Amino acid sequence: MSREPVTLTIDGREITVPAGTLVIRAAERLGIEIPRFCDHPFLAPAGACRQCYVEIEGQAKLVTSCTTRVAPDMAVRTQVTSELVRRAQAANLEFLLLNHPLDCPVCDRGGECPLQDQALAFGPGESRYIEPKRTYRKPIPLSPLVNLDRERCVLCARCTRFCDEISGDRFIELYDRGAGERVSIAAGEDFRSPFSGNTIQICPVGALTATPYRFVARPFDLSSTDSTCAHCAAGCAIRVDVRRGKVVRVLARDDVEVNDAWICDKGRFAFAAPDRPERVTTPLVRARGLEPASFQEVLGEIAARCRGGRVGILVGGRLADEDAYALSKLARTVLGTNDLDHRRAFHGGRAELLAAARPMSVTYRDVEEAAAILVVGLDAEQELPILHLRIRKAARRGARVFVLHARRTRLHDLGEHLLVRPGHEAFALERIREALAAGGDGPEARIAAALAEAGERAVVLAGPRLAEHPLAADVALGLAERVGARFALCARRAGDRGALRAGVHPTLLPGGRRVTDDVERGQVEAVWGPIPAEPGRDAMGILRAAAGRELDVLYLVGVDPLRDLPDPALARRALANAGYTVIQGLELGELEPYADAFLPAAAAAERDGRVTTWEGRPRPLRAARAPLGLSRPDWEIFVGLAEALGADLGLGSLEAIRAEAEPLLAPREVPVRSSAWGAAGPPQWIEERVLFTYPLLVDEGRLLEGATELKAALEEEPFAEIHREDAEALGVADGGWVRVRTSAGDAVVRARVGETVAPGAVFVPFNQPGLPVAELLAGRFTVGVHLEPAAEPAAEEVA
Amino acid sequence: MSDGPRIITAHWGDERVIPYEGYVRVGGYEGLRRALAMSPEEVIAEVKASGLRGRGGAGFPTGVKWSFVPQDTGKPTYVVCNFDESEPGTFNNRELVEREPHQVLEGIAIAAYAIRSNLAFIYCRGEFLWPGSVLRRALEEAYEHGVLGERVLGTDHRLDVVLHRGAGAYICGEETALLSSLEGYRGQPRQRPPFPAIEGLYASPTVINNVETLCFVPHILRNGASWFTSIGTERSPGTKVFSISGKVERPGNYELPMGTPFRVLLEEHAGGVLGGRALKAWTPGGSSTPMLTAEHLDVALDFESVQQAGSMLGTGAVMVMDETDCMVEAVRRMVRFYAHESCGKCTPCREGTWWVSRVLDRIEAGYGRPEDLPLLEDLVPNLLFRGFCPLLDGAVSPVASGLRHFREEFERHIEERRCPFTGRGSATGVAEPPAPPAPQEPAPGPVPLSEVLG
Repeated sequence: MSREPVTLTIDGREITVPAGTLVIRAAERLGIEIPRFCDHPFLAPAGACRQCYVEIEGQAKLVTSCTTRVAPDMAVRTQVTSELVRRAQAANLEFLLLNHPLDCPVCDRGGECPLQDQALAFGPGESRYIEPKRTYRKPIPLSPLVNLDRERCVLCARCTRFCDEISGDRFIELYDRGAGERVSIAAGEDFRSPFSGNTIQICPVGALTATPYRFVARPFDLSSTDSTCAHCAAGCAIRVDVRRGKVVRVLARDDVEVNDAWICDKGRFAFAAPDRPERVTTPLVRARGLEPASFQEVLGEIAARCRGGRVGILVGGRLADEDAYALSKLARTVLGTNDLDHRRAFHGGRAELLAAARPMSVTYRDVEEAAAILVVGLDAEQELPILHLRIRKAARRGARVFVLHARRTRLHDLGEHLLVRPGHEAFALERIREALAAGGDGPEARIAAALAEAGERAVVLAGPRLAEHPLAADVALGLAERVGARFALCARRAGDRGALRAGVHPTLLPGGRRVTDDVERGQVEAVWGPIPAEPGRDAMGILRAAAGRELDVLYLVGVDPLRDLPDPALARRALANAGYTVIQGLELGELEPYADAFLPAAAAAERDGRVTTWEGRPRPLRAARAPLGLSRPDWEIFVGLAEALGADLGLGSLEAIRAEAEPLLAPREVPVRSSAWGAAGPPQWIEERVLFTYPLLVDEGRLLEGATELKAALEEEPFAEIHREDAEALGVADGGWVRVRTSAGDAVVRARVGETVAPGAVFVPFNQPGLPVAELLAGRFTVGVHLEPAAEPAAEEVA
Repeated sequence: MSDGPRIITAHWGDERVIPYEGYVRVGGYEGLRRALAMSPEEVIAEVKASGLRGRGGAGFPTGVKWSFVPQDTGKPTYVVCNFDESEPGTFNNRELVEREPHQVLEGIAIAAYAIRSNLAFIYCRGEFLWPGSVLRRALEEAYEHGVLGERVLGTDHRLDVVLHRGAGAYICGEETALLSSLEGYRGQPRQRPPFPAIEGLYASPTVINNVETLCFVPHILRNGASWFTSIGTERSPGTKVFSISGKVERPGNYELPMGTPFRVLLEEHAGGVLGGRALKAWTPGGSSTPMLTAEHLDVALDFESVQQAGSMLGTGAVMVMDETDCMVEAVRRMVRFYAHESCGKCTPCREGTWWVSRVLDRIEAGYGRPEDLPLLEDLVPNLLFRGFCPLLDGAVSPVASGLRHFREEFERHIEERRCPFTGRGSATGVAEPPAPPAPQEPAPGPVPLSEVLG
């Protein structure tokens, strides 16, 4: 479509907009608000509600401004200047309210309802309708999260269009016709979409309501704060609504550069964790038991242990950027160690180095405008849901989408999947690279041809599964470079990219500068002072060192090595054998028996700061309420610990941290060199069956605690997904029980048999209720596995 | 009966033209043969020159419609025959198909050749079980005899025709809703533009023509455009099959030249008003066209003249009401049809037809209020041309014309609190109040929104 500017007048005011612009959008630019219900800027025009009538000179009938595109010299009159339009809009509002129950005083939407607001602003003021109103049974639970009130519904079809056009999860549909038309769902089906909450937010009336928010608050009782969702690295713009010090609701904010107008249900509904009774909000120190103490006391005690001692630091995925920077500096310059790591799995290649050194190699916009997208080792819907929606948007705009993964993802309806066993991604990528020259007609050749044709409009998105093999991400990067595609190594957790950039990493300093490179280390030392030149240990190395009594202090920041890392047995030994264990976070959980000191950290909704998206884009976190109890933002604790050790990090405020970090984090060129930088050798061809695991969007993760309805809606029972060929060979039936045995342990779970995983691969979701899969792992997130049919387990065996 | 030229109903009553051989014996498929000997552009030019206008209601020139189809999009083109005839009062398509099914197939084949289409669809109204079966048989014959298939009549032109049965929704006669339904989606209209000629079925260029329109095409090809223009009026050439029903002596389909006065249709062909009673009202083109009265007996039945008289020729479905008919009841039934058939997509149609229907129920049952007539008169302009598609305009027509011509009947219903024709109503206690629950007496006054919204 040509984007030539078009000049027209609206209510006599001239405006120039790109060709193809809808009249309603052009009017918005002039600040003229035309009432509307079905129109939504991120959905295709529908023209259904008929509220946005305008008059166009030379046209006999009124037209809907949400479906009419601008034309040169068009003269538009809205309700501002046209009595006819004013009357038509008032009449339409009268129609919309005929059957509306007008139960505003008990409706969640009351006070922030487009129907209420627009009826007040543009409506007739009173109704002439005296007939009985249409009634329906209500509310109808579409899922544990979403309730439907058909009497309030104005049938704008925003919700059904969202499910059709945006998420592709077509669970709801309009049914029947005329005055009996209603939103419906198949009997016995749940609205099981991880994006279902968006339909509630875009509902222009109170027809769709969220179970966790029903009857909880009136909008004028809320204090709202704009912030960023910290559940994953998507970086969605959100609004956090607090009532009497409690978060009661999270909404998506519009941001065309990141999340358009959407967030996932986890971001929307998982906000209760910081208010759980298990939360610890005072510093604790072990005397006879763990006992409350002041920060000064606890930090003093920790400092005494650290002074001169060997410290290893493990970090989870939820640190803000400023926390990560302060920690990185604390470790190197005060604690004198490079033994710190935020990663759950090893990357260590050039792809990781680039991710540390160069932000924004791929942006959401690049994805949206791509002609071809290759997703490797990433289940975008489950791991970065908003990136998933952007990939879908690109596909709808014509991009060809390919997914190279061990398991089918929710892109299957508009992309081609190449299922490869976990660990074999590098081989498949090599075949694609070979097909660039050799051609052919297999899936690899199709991917190669599409990428080559797209050239710089090709995007390669590499995900966490590639971390299992040190070279896989680098092979993907090499492929991208070969065709001139954009490449990103996509971090999953909100703190991952920021921690990597800041050098919460055993061998990388801020900006991806290598500890072992004297020049690069020198650049950081010029700001920080001396840094140990020895490379540090990675996460598993730190655990091994602690287990081997080589560490005096094990410092765990927002991480639970028993749950989060793939070797709980090692983690238990490490915790038992560490000289002194410091826990910093929201709660102690199962770590309580091992803790010698606890430092209470503020939750994401309780503090200011920044998080970095998978793209490398910094996003603001803003405190929606004060930290509970004595808890504090992590960076303040790090600064306090440095002080207790007699050091001044020079990082007295967020501004000071950003000012110091900025030059070190400026994008850097990274020398091109071979992947030999990685510690491990080339990937091995694997013959045995492999179990692989990764967390699904909704699982038993700590930040999901308390999100009861969300879990009821989306959490799955543990299962083992097995390819039909394997299942037949083993005599395992779909829905039957299967024993999964690895070198670390065994479990009995239900089998899901199909063609949704690669042959030879068995998928078990990471952290489902009753099955801590970590107990089956032996140091990595893939492990050789033996399967056999099993009898239905007794209750305690499943648990 | 003064017989004018009959074109597409010439063989009605002769059952021998139903099978393929009989149809060929009376000249069938000669038009297609002629067309195949011409270039597609010449075929379009011929149809354009004939001035044939769509008989489905809108009267758009058929040849012009065909010429809109682009041939350079790289997409296939489609012909869709609209056989969803559902407008109350309309029944000529059904009889055209039942009595001479190959005639419409020939029209389809010519249209497909003209726009270089290899795939055509017939969207058959779901309730048309028998006509659908007749078509099915005719299609089989057409394939057997090489009229359809890989080589149409031995030429290089390929054509397949798919018979699709609808599921019983009036709205699917609207062309964009028909396309949605044909694609397997909900039968709801789509935004235009893009028009079907550019992006129709499966987003490809598509021509949609009514059965009656397509029936004329073989004859135009056989006899030439100038023959066709010699019949009817200058701007509405040819004949029209008028379906006349209601209070007449001989209801049925009558093919007459465009421009024939209504009086001729009624008195000479349909045998006059039933029982010699006085004419009260008639629709010129189905229930969606504004009603006319006895004053309009001499209106010529062509697109322009009917429009001048304040209505539309529409599908040429004439429904006749006499002096014993209650116009409130007539309007109420027509509106109820549209309320029932409204697809629900747009607000004014979904809610407006419901509201008007409710008010009319009440008036007819003797529960009308004096303010109901000003209310209806105010709703008419609020609904007319405000819907997503023309269905709503059709629903408003009987209300507007009923109030225009017969307001005193509405007033009598309200004053007497009963229907003057049946005697039933609240005054006599005979009529039940309209269900569900009756409006309270006195009816609650309008509630100011400000009170409700606070």
